[in-house]
Amino acid sequence: MNIQVEALTHIFANSRVQRTALAEINFGVKSGQFVALIGPSGCGKSTLLRLAGDLLHPTRGTITLDGRKPPEMRAAHEIAWMAQSPALLPWLDARQNVALAQRFMPVNRHPRLTVDQVLERVGLSDAAGAFPFTLSGGMQQRLALARLLALEASLWLMDEPFAALDEISRERLTTELLDLWQPFHPTVLWVTHNIYEALRLADRILVFSPSPGRIVGDLAIDLPRPRSEANPRFQQILAALRTALGSTANAQVAQ
Amino acid sequence: MNGKRKSGWVALTIVLIFLGGWEAAVRIFDVPVYILPSPSRTFETLAANPQMYLQASALTLGESLAGLLIGVLTGGLLAVLLTLLPGLEGGVMTLAILMKSTPLVAIAPLLTIWLGFGVVPKIVITALMTFFPVLVNVLSGLQHVEPALTDLFHSWNASRWEVFRHLRLPTALPFLFAALKISAPLALIGAVVAEWTGASGGLGRTMWLAYTNLNLPYLFAAIFILAAGGMTLFRLLGWLERKVVFWLPDSRES
Repeated sequence: MNIQVEALTHIFANSRVQRTALAEINFGVKSGQFVALIGPSGCGKSTLLRLAGDLLHPTRGTITLDGRKPPEMRAAHEIAWMAQSPALLPWLDARQNVALAQRFMPVNRHPRLTVDQVLERVGLSDAAGAFPFTLSGGMQQRLALARLLALEASLWLMDEPFAALDEISRERLTTELLDLWQPFHPTVLWVTHNIYEALRLADRILVFSPSPGRIVGDLAIDLPRPRSEANPRFQQILAALRTALGSTANAQVAQ
Repeated sequence: MNGKRKSGWVALTIVLIFLGGWEAAVRIFDVPVYILPSPSRTFETLAANPQMYLQASALTLGESLAGLLIGVLTGGLLAVLLTLLPGLEGGVMTLAILMKSTPLVAIAPLLTIWLGFGVVPKIVITALMTFFPVLVNVLSGLQHVEPALTDLFHSWNASRWEVFRHLRLPTALPFLFAALKISAPLALIGAVVAEWTGASGGLGRTMWLAYTNLNLPYLFAAIFILAAGGMTLFRLLGWLERKVVFWLPDSRES
């Protein structure tokens, strides 16, 4: 799915205060690109994700997804959403959790993968009948990933999906995510705080500055996966990313 | 021995110590039976009149459960209605609180005047007593859905009804059980209070007769039955809760 963002501004306001979360954002994403959104807290990257997923309506500006508006794309079941909390339904077992997501799909859309096939892909075949409260945090997030996969959407919006996990689970899931992503190759917007995660996963990194959120860096990562930190090019991009992030820190201090 | 078993023994021990202390105090201080009968005397009275107590208990229990059922159904359905039509919430809740603030002891005799000495006014009082906790609890259960889950259902383009059916309703179940555990003992009290103000049978009637005749062993026997009944209902609901709302941690029970 192509994404076109034009003059996008979002202001959170109540009767007393207002805060500009995003100010005049412009960028485009080609179909199938894996884009990491990185920046300090409060830079509006989660807001951008919510706007793209039609969980929020922009104050000004537009987001166009393959020529259509986010509400249309959401109604067409082309957007899959995943956040830091696995957001599983505790009264449903693993299989039922995945099946529920597919249940809302239009009847004329036949999923390519069955629920059991999806569970197999994320390595949860043995836990298909298990209830979420019996699963570890890593396995719960893996189940959330299975559910995302089952939707077969052409846009994945992922808001720090592995941020609450321990480092070991996180590394493993990050690697597995790439294996899951590659055959379907949806467009991904991936919000993260983690520099290495962004460098390992993304085709491109957008660097945001905080309050109001603006894009201050746009780095392409032209490296084959899996990526090694030993690669000099990796270190080069890492340095560039650090510089871009450093400028956001300065911007913060200057305010 | 697991924790649940252990706490059961602790509870039983405490009850036995309490009854033992009571028995000892009555005997040592030679308390007259028209002031405070001993537990042993109370149990004797109970054992001597099984038929009478059984009939009275069955009637009171029947009224309580009928009233509870009506209270739960009306409270629950109203909570559902207010969730689907949130505009009504302010008005209906004001009315419900007004109703709740009216002392039932004042309404009970009125209902007896209007509806007679039969079971109907008892059921009405019990329903009125149990309706409010169910309404408030279930309503807050239906509304306290995790935002992350609401986002998810929104992203799936689920309809309002689907969100209700697959998300709000199961989320409210633990709240419903919390309300039931409050309401079930209340239901017994409601039926007894209603019977006290005029009835042809039931434990409240037994208690009122015993009270006016200063026959305290009779009165205490009825109190024992009520205490045991309320406790049993509460435990039964706790057991049912663990079966139905199985995904919640055990620690929050009772």
